[in-house]
Amino acid sequence: MIQVRSLVKSFEGFRALDDLSLTVPRGAVYGLVGPNGAGKSTLIRHLAGIYRQDSGELLVDGEPVYENPAVKSRMAYIPDDIFYYTQASIRDLMHLYRELYPGFDEACFERLGELFRLAPSSSMRRLSKGQQKQAAFWLALSLRPDLVVLDEPVDGLDPVMRRQVWGELLSDVAERGTTVLVSSHNLRELEDVCDHVGIMHRGRMLLERSLSELQDNLVKVQLVLPEDRELPADLEILHRSVTGRLQQLILRGKAEELTARLAAAEPLFLDPLPLSLEEIFIYELGGADHEVKDILL
Amino acid sequence: MRPLIAINFRDARPIYEQVRDGFRQLILSGVLPADTRMPSVRELASSLAINPNTIQRAYRELETEGYICSVPGKGSFVRERGEAAAARRAELLEKLAALGRELALLGVGEEEMLAALRGGDRT
Repeated sequence: MIQVRSLVKSFEGFRALDDLSLTVPRGAVYGLVGPNGAGKSTLIRHLAGIYRQDSGELLVDGEPVYENPAVKSRMAYIPDDIFYYTQASIRDLMHLYRELYPGFDEACFERLGELFRLAPSSSMRRLSKGQQKQAAFWLALSLRPDLVVLDEPVDGLDPVMRRQVWGELLSDVAERGTTVLVSSHNLRELEDVCDHVGIMHRGRMLLERSLSELQDNLVKVQLVLPEDRELPADLEILHRSVTGRLQQLILRGKAEELTARLAAAEPLFLDPLPLSLEEIFIYELGGADHEVKDILL
Repeated sequence: MRPLIAINFRDARPIYEQVRDGFRQLILSGVLPADTRMPSVRELASSLAINPNTIQRAYRELETEGYICSVPGKGSFVRERGEAAAARRAELLEKLAALGRELALLGVGEEEMLAALRGGDRT
């Protein structure tokens, strides 16, 4: 759905995006994670057709986005700082959206009204920041987009609303195969809703993976071996810590296969442990190096 | 509808495992008897606010393990407990054996283990 290759964007000599590549498959919920200043919003503004890159390629559904109404009409974008015509009411905006977006679904707008519980006649400037965000979601979901691009979407939403908005969005993903790209500086926040994650740092993509692939390829085990036994050879050990006779290993490979191989060494004790997504990324990105920890946590 | 299972975000298990284990338990304990229709992926994604692919993955595993079967165009249904229960029994017995070995290393005798299994007090 989205293909970005070697994107470069500089602002007055500062390379905000530095040879960045990214691929989002159709129907995926892609989480873009990175610390402040990593370039997430800059990338997203390219996707929304607001910025034009210095070099590189950016395609949505095989077409460039910049000045391309056909692509943009099937895309909903919610920026981190919402701006609307301050005099306009939600209903005025609905009329505007209905004109701009051919896919706009009024029945859907009415149905979602029950979820958001905002009066359509209320003018945007009278709404709180969180309510403005709700209104943005309301309008965005009503245009039945094929692609939803969200920049730090839960900022300002209370937990109940956050859950309802995601529920609605994910039900759309299940039903219509909507593609979602969502940015956050917090991996934890995206873990439950995403199936793909890309980690950005200083304008580059450090790592892009599908979650199932990640979860299936690293294993954490605790084990105690008898005095005279050694670990089987050629295990791919990413990390090892020893406390007394208890060893904790992070291994690359499939859980069942590795447990079977370790069991062959007749351990006195063998216990596979679950790995959190944060741990997985830390080890995938090359060990418990401090910089990596700072990026993720 | 209130979802039957709950996701605990403090749980270190991946979410698909929590979904899978949650339903496994509901089926084995008979809360979801044979031929019950499983909630659709869309319903669960919406009520739990988790990714539909995650749910699909949990359902796929439940299907391979014989807990549910999918009927194209109709959804997924709970199967008779026979096979799945047998597989789960073998798995749990293996875990019990592993626990037993560990306890034996700690010097816990068979009598004591049996007493613990029966839930009787050991005084």
